[in-house]
Amino acid sequence: MVTKIISAILTVLAGIGGAFVLYWLLNKLSELLPGKWQDRIKPFLYILPALAVLGLYLVYPAYQTIVFSFANKDSTAWVGWKNYGDLLSSSDFHNTLFNTFLWILVVPAVTIIFGLIIAVLADRLGSRSEKTAKTIIFLPIAISAVGAGTVWRFIYDARPAGEPQVGLQNAIVTKLGFDPVNWLQLSDFRVNSFLLMVILLWAQVGFAMVLLSAAIKGVPSDTLEAARVDGANERQIFGRVVVPQIRTTIITVFVTVTIGVMKIFDIVYVMTNGDFNTNVVGNQFFNELFTNFNNGYAAAIVVLLMVAIIPLMVYQVRQFRAEEATR
Amino acid sequence: MRRGPTVLKGVAAVAAAALLTSGCLVSPEDARTGNDNTSSTIEFMLGFTGDQFEAFRAGVDPYAKSQGIKINWAPTSNFNQLINTRVQGRNLPDIAMFPQPGVLRGLASRNTLTPLDGILDMPTLKSSMTAGTLDAGTVGGQLFGVLVSMNVKSLVFYPKQPFTQAGYTEPKSLQELLDLTNKIRTGGKTPWCLGIESGAATGWPATDWIEDTLLHQQGVQKYNQWVDHQITFESPEVREAADFFQQIAFTDGNVVGGRKSIASNNFATAANPMFRSPPGCFMYKQGNFVAAPGGFPDTVLKDIDNQVGVFGYPPATAGGDNPVLGGGDLAGLFSKNNEYAKKIMRFMSTKDFGASIAKQGNYISPHKDFDQNNYPNGVVKQIADIAYKSTAFAFDGSDQMPGEVGSGSFWKDMTAWISGQQNLDEALKGIDESWPAS
Repeated sequence: MVTKIISAILTVLAGIGGAFVLYWLLNKLSELLPGKWQDRIKPFLYILPALAVLGLYLVYPAYQTIVFSFANKDSTAWVGWKNYGDLLSSSDFHNTLFNTFLWILVVPAVTIIFGLIIAVLADRLGSRSEKTAKTIIFLPIAISAVGAGTVWRFIYDARPAGEPQVGLQNAIVTKLGFDPVNWLQLSDFRVNSFLLMVILLWAQVGFAMVLLSAAIKGVPSDTLEAARVDGANERQIFGRVVVPQIRTTIITVFVTVTIGVMKIFDIVYVMTNGDFNTNVVGNQFFNELFTNFNNGYAAAIVVLLMVAIIPLMVYQVRQFRAEEATR
Repeated sequence: MRRGPTVLKGVAAVAAAALLTSGCLVSPEDARTGNDNTSSTIEFMLGFTGDQFEAFRAGVDPYAKSQGIKINWAPTSNFNQLINTRVQGRNLPDIAMFPQPGVLRGLASRNTLTPLDGILDMPTLKSSMTAGTLDAGTVGGQLFGVLVSMNVKSLVFYPKQPFTQAGYTEPKSLQELLDLTNKIRTGGKTPWCLGIESGAATGWPATDWIEDTLLHQQGVQKYNQWVDHQITFESPEVREAADFFQQIAFTDGNVVGGRKSIASNNFATAANPMFRSPPGCFMYKQGNFVAAPGGFPDTVLKDIDNQVGVFGYPPATAGGDNPVLGGGDLAGLFSKNNEYAKKIMRFMSTKDFGASIAKQGNYISPHKDFDQNNYPNGVVKQIADIAYKSTAFAFDGSDQMPGEVGSGSFWKDMTAWISGQQNLDEALKGIDESWPAS
């Protein structure tokens, strides 16, 4: 323990010292240059370490992933577009894409709707009950998705009829005199996928609520009063005065949740591992890489996902800039 | 805050990236023979962890110590992946215990492993090992892996007293097993407990059913052809096995909770209704590991010899060939010229090895002449006896198939079939299509 603490302290000291020495050296280096060049080069020298780290941990892996997506399963020979062709022509993958599409369609929108409703309603409570209500709704966000999945296994758990039901929902259902329901096997109309989405909603609505609530509180009260004076009812005030003023926050939350949903993996893996027609792209990627050891398919899935997410990110950054500009 | 070293790495990466015009792909690994270590400190890699590992280590370390050998243990729960990485990185252990023969055979055929014929006492091994267990580690006529511990899957457990009181007898053939099933059902009781849920690995118990049935219906030779995909999943042989399973699992009243509960019923606890009074079911098919903590209820395990009966999955015809399905860990040698590692290999292949491990619970020796008094209870003895008396030992098929199938489509498509998302034709076709081309 003592040695661990000492080595931790040494590591921190060496890290800070190393960074200090590095920047000091870079600074000295730039001072060797003639005055005009010194000013030109210095900023670049200062951002060099950050750029190098970005290159190493972001650009290089992304580049390597793209390269691997055109290679065979153990990345030893080129196969051209075969990985993409195989994936896009497989009916299993169509199913997986469709499920992912459902997630994208449902989860961000419902997160916003619930987040807004809760934020608005909580806003009308007294300050103490508002805090309590918000805390309770915010709590699940502290639980990892794997943890959430494990918790919800106890909610959806199904034992054979006649056995003691450990799962919450089936305990209720059997108490009411019905047979237990195998919730996660209800693949008609993708009921089971929706049941999995509930878990993510449960975990994420708190996040949306906090941001939206802060935005609502930031709406200037004179605009609300002006609307009231003009005779608007509460619904009109919300729809035409509040929402337009918090639009950028809504978009930010929406895009963030959407990107999160596109990458969804943990909940599906823990609950079903994609069985019973619940597979999603993230889980498929995991299985290609760690079950099938197929680097090619796995990389191709990631590239497809990257291509799909980039426009969203561009949109988000633009929105962010637009917001900055209006300030 | 550790900018210093990361910058170095960054510069290295930029340099590497600059060189990446040709070197993007991994170069295929070269054939290479073993490990050059000759010191008395050897590395021993194995595929199990926790209590099982501690018990095994306690069975080997005293001997190693007495011979002046220091073993560096490297247990991992992710053996197959790690051993391949280490082979590619040419960083080999001296000895490894392979949980699956397929990986061992792959390395043997690339000359990475050392043949054991000149090292072990082959005539004694041939007479003492359970039938067929040496074949699993043999490539091109040479032995590369010797089975050190064994598990048995061709088992049906039953609640001992209620079963005999009801006048049921252990079936002697697959047909008798079906007859018994029907007899129990028509008597107004539920014959089977059945659950294949296992978290992210859901489906594997169903693959055991198919493997075991096919093994008993078609024999070892055809079974192995199927495992190598010379016989496809869409073949009549596999359909026959699937039909048998279907008669047991899908017939109304045969399974606790019915067909729809199979895929959500956890394999470890599925047998619990069997030990109630009156029993919720009368038979449960599962490997020997279910009769250990984490499987059957603790109260049952405390009184296991009185409460649990077990019979081997019966042969196709009474008295006929009776192979047994199972698994185990095969020890393979990487360091060709290390006398110390060879000593350990010799030690682990003797019939007396494992006495202390067996006393702790869940170890079954592959040696027929192993002293059975070392087994902790009568049920384990019986299970070992079923294996020793079998006509052949067949390794778990899904463990030997390529990962895409053996821990992918075979699990998933069986689950989809049982839970009704696919019919049998779609499931079998799907598995065949997922078989890797090379």
